[in-house]
Amino acid sequence: MKKRGVGFASIFYGTGYGNGFPDESRATAEIKEDGSIIIYVGVSDVGSGGLSIMWQIAIETLGVNKEFVKIKHNNTSMMHDSGTAAASRQTYNTGNAVLDACSKLKKNMMLASEEVTNLKVLYKQMVTKRIETRVEGYFKATTKEVNLETGQGNPYWPYTFGAQMVTVEVDDETGKVDILDIVSVNDAGKIVNPVLAAGQAIGGCAMGIGYAIMEEVFVNKGEIKNRNFSNYIIPTSKDVPNIKSYFVEDIEGTGPYGAKGLGEPVMIPTAPAIINAIYDAVGVRIYDLPATCDKVLLAIKNNA
Amino acid sequence: MQAVGVNYTRPDVYGKISGKAVYPDDIEFEGMLYAGVKRSTIAYGKVLSINIDEIKQLPGVEYVIDYTMIPGAISHGVIFKDIPILVKDIVKRIGDCLILIVTNDKESLKNALKQVKVEYEEYEGVFTVDDALKEDAPIIGDGSNILYDIKIKAGNIDEGFKEALHITENLYCSQMTEHAFLQPEAAVACYDDDGTLKVYVATQYPHYDREEVARCLNVSEDKVKIINTTIGGAFGAREDINPQCHAAIATYISKKPVKVLYTREESIISHSKRHPMKMHYKTGVTKDGKLCALKARIYGDTGAYASWGMNVLRKAAVHATGPYVIPNVDIQALAVYTNNPYSGAMRGFGATQVPLASESQMDILAEKLNMHPLKFRYINSFEVGSNTATGQKLVSSVGIKKCIEKIAEIAEIKL
Repeated sequence: MKKRGVGFASIFYGTGYGNGFPDESRATAEIKEDGSIIIYVGVSDVGSGGLSIMWQIAIETLGVNKEFVKIKHNNTSMMHDSGTAAASRQTYNTGNAVLDACSKLKKNMMLASEEVTNLKVLYKQMVTKRIETRVEGYFKATTKEVNLETGQGNPYWPYTFGAQMVTVEVDDETGKVDILDIVSVNDAGKIVNPVLAAGQAIGGCAMGIGYAIMEEVFVNKGEIKNRNFSNYIIPTSKDVPNIKSYFVEDIEGTGPYGAKGLGEPVMIPTAPAIINAIYDAVGVRIYDLPATCDKVLLAIKNNA
Repeated sequence: MQAVGVNYTRPDVYGKISGKAVYPDDIEFEGMLYAGVKRSTIAYGKVLSINIDEIKQLPGVEYVIDYTMIPGAISHGVIFKDIPILVKDIVKRIGDCLILIVTNDKESLKNALKQVKVEYEEYEGVFTVDDALKEDAPIIGDGSNILYDIKIKAGNIDEGFKEALHITENLYCSQMTEHAFLQPEAAVACYDDDGTLKVYVATQYPHYDREEVARCLNVSEDKVKIINTTIGGAFGAREDINPQCHAAIATYISKKPVKVLYTREESIISHSKRHPMKMHYKTGVTKDGKLCALKARIYGDTGAYASWGMNVLRKAAVHATGPYVIPNVDIQALAVYTNNPYSGAMRGFGATQVPLASESQMDILAEKLNMHPLKFRYINSFEVGSNTATGQKLVSSVGIKKCIEKIAEIAEIKL
């Protein structure tokens, strides 16, 4: 018989490299003769939207039309080091460097002319008045190394938060778990691009489903047995249910426009919420991931 | 606000949906060579011989490169430089790179790689954390099998458990997983007109790649350019070096453009994995439903090389409590070397593993208290001014209660 259950999980997540590891980002903002503004920044967009985030922060800060702003981000000889696209750190850290660079450029633009109407004209005015047309931005996160014996210290900043509610259906004759519905609520401060953020949250849930009930690299004496997608099975559209994503925007004052990182934490509550939902459905607790049919069925039999 | 909080269409979308986005394998040059590595098929041992002279005679083979031909550093690593670009003598995992073969077409490369014969002296390997921690275990790491050991202590753990009405103690295990990004690794290296060596690669950190390529070529960083192409997913698996140095070395030696392209199988064998963890948890709660004590022991299998193992286990330890105030904690997390595939960065980075334990414990205790699990979370969750287990005061932007309130509102649960 198929039985339904609901499970919850909530998490926190320290973004950035943390622990005092130098966590620096740099950006360069330059107004060109043709009136375009180029932001040179080492943001790697792994698909999670870092490029858009830097672009939107730059446009907001400069207060110009988006058509005039371009991001150059793919050649190490043209941009300074902005660290890894990792640790959910690009929005907060590199976003702050872009904010810094664009604030400085904006200030210089205002020095040339208080009313910005034509950027080509403005460029000429800046050159005539010997005002810098190219400026550097920088940001360094403030964390401290924790003591290895007591763990005391401030290892990360800022923290992102999230909670999820997952509804599952468990077949008590086969052990198969179907995920029916997920509600994902996250606090990543100000959301810079709501559609991209929801995409991250939904993708995170899909990855969490794989982690909870499907995925495992089988290793025998150091040898990976499943080396292809024919036997390393990840969720497909048929495994991913209706997911509702919400953001509560608890503004972080040190973030660019109040934003924090969200790439990683959005996936974390899914697996434990599924494990709790399985318990709610059939009264068995799975202690080893993933909760595959055989494990769930064995637990049901042992519980009977 | 004009642009922040607005759904601008992402600037990279047009290339992606029209198929015009350029990934490393889309890049072709006249007279380009193809390179690939022969990888170890044993997990631990010494390389005695490789039939390099025979391979050099095979059709289409231009160069066969071993570690002695690398102009600079022969290993790389995000923190410790312990991963061989090409193995000198000791193999520590299946998939270690032995020799680099450069050919003038793809078929010759495939054929040459198949013809490589390696003689090994095989050693007894270590494949579980328990075995690696035994006193007589072979030492895989640098003098010890423990790469990292962190403790977090706050309050008084014994007194904490004395306050508890309910205590639950359980062992949780999380599995090794694969990032499963869509685009397998590829890199193209060539010399630019200005004499710098250029590497096209899809990477999470181009400046780090530049540093490692310059190190292995023994040139200054301004002689290397990394062109970060469109990236077909990463999730942490593009943080460690993979094909970058091999492509660069092949170009350095041949002076020609060189492409390295992985199959899905090579991709899965070569890059890091999510740390499998064993998590012993003992959690106590008072009669009022307040968490009062947590003792946790967390063991991560970090595999053959360090990669980000220290940072991942630190992150696991710091997040072991979940987003809750627990005044008395005794947490220890260890990263342990084995001869398994090396573990490293993967989305969530240690903080993804521990909630299996912490959030299961929450539900077990909520049931013992006869309290709704969401309410139990709510009354224990952080707020502005709370201290984490590491004694960090959360001074701003602590949205966890708001997240739980939103779920309660949707599910019509009274908190």
